[in-house]
Amino acid sequence: MDIRTPLGQSVFLLLFSCIVGFGSNLVRGDSIPWIAPQIEIAESITPETESNEPVLAAISLSQAKNLFDDGTLFVDARDDAYYTAGHIQGALKTAFLMELIFTIEAIQDKNAPLVVYCGDPGCGDSEDLAYNLQDSGFNKLYVFKGGWLEWSKAGYPSERDQ
Amino acid sequence: MTRYFKVQIVFFFRLIIGIIFIYASWDKIAHPAAFATAIGNYHAVPFGLENMMAMVLPWLELFVGVCLVAGIMVDGAAIMCILMNIVFIFAISQALARGIDIECGCFSVSKEGGENIGLQTILRDIAYLAMSFVILYRNEKRLEFFPKPV
Repeated sequence: MDIRTPLGQSVFLLLFSCIVGFGSNLVRGDSIPWIAPQIEIAESITPETESNEPVLAAISLSQAKNLFDDGTLFVDARDDAYYTAGHIQGALKTAFLMELIFTIEAIQDKNAPLVVYCGDPGCGDSEDLAYNLQDSGFNKLYVFKGGWLEWSKAGYPSERDQ
Repeated sequence: MTRYFKVQIVFFFRLIIGIIFIYASWDKIAHPAAFATAIGNYHAVPFGLENMMAMVLPWLELFVGVCLVAGIMVDGAAIMCILMNIVFIFAISQALARGIDIECGCFSVSKEGGENIGLQTILRDIAYLAMSFVILYRNEKRLEFFPKPV
C-alpha cells in the first residue's frame, strides 16, 4: 500500500477508520454488539390474548400451523401478483399499509395475535411489515419465516384469488 | 477529464465538504446504537452488519472531513467521499423506491433533530458528489501538506 497514490490513501483512510471504529467500540461504555440481533424463534407461543405484553417473534412451520388452526389472522407481505397466484387460506394482502391496518382493526383487536409471512426464509418483507405494524400499535406479531415456500410445500390449506 | 478547476473553487469545496462531513460524523459517533438503528431502517445491509457499519462509517466521515480541510491525503479523501456519497444515494433511492418512510440519519440520529429522506436528500448528495469530483480532478495542488505536491 503506497500512501502516495490516491488509491493507497483511500485504503489507508478506510483501514484507519476500521481500527479506530472497532477499537473505540470495545472501550466505550455504550458499546454495541458486532452483529445486530435478529428476531429470535419463539420456543413456545401462547396465542391467547390474556397477557397484553408486546410480542414480536419468529415462528416455525408447525407453530404457524397451530396458530392457523386456532383461527389466527394471517397477513401476506408479498406483492400483489404473488398473492393472487396463491396464498395461505384467509390471509390478508398488503396493498397499502394504512388500508391493511384499517382492515385488521375492523376484524380484530390490536392485542390479538397476527402472523406475517412472505415468500421464503430469505425474504425480509415479513419482518419489515411486522416492524411497521408494531409501530402502528399492534402488540402480538409473529413472523412466519418459512413463508409461502414451506407452507405450500407442506400442502397446508391455501387458496388462489378469484 | 481535463484538469481545469480553479484553485479557489477547489479550496472552497474542500472546506464545505470537509466541514459538512465533520459535522455529520459528530452525532453518530456520540450515539452508535441510534445510528445502527437508522442504518437498519434502510433494510439495505444484510446479516446484521449494520452494527459494524455504524462503528466505522462515522469515523471515516470524520477523518475524510479532517483530511479535506487540513490538506492531508486530499486525493484519497476525495475518492472516499465519492464512494460514500454513491452509497448514500443508492441507499436513499432504494428506500424511496420501495416506499419506506424513514429518517435520514444523515446529520442527526437523535429523534428531535431527525429529517426524513426525500428527493431533496438525494439532490443534496448529488451536489456533494459533484463537489468531490471537482476536488479529485483539481488542477493545482495548493494548500496541501501531505503528500508534498511535486
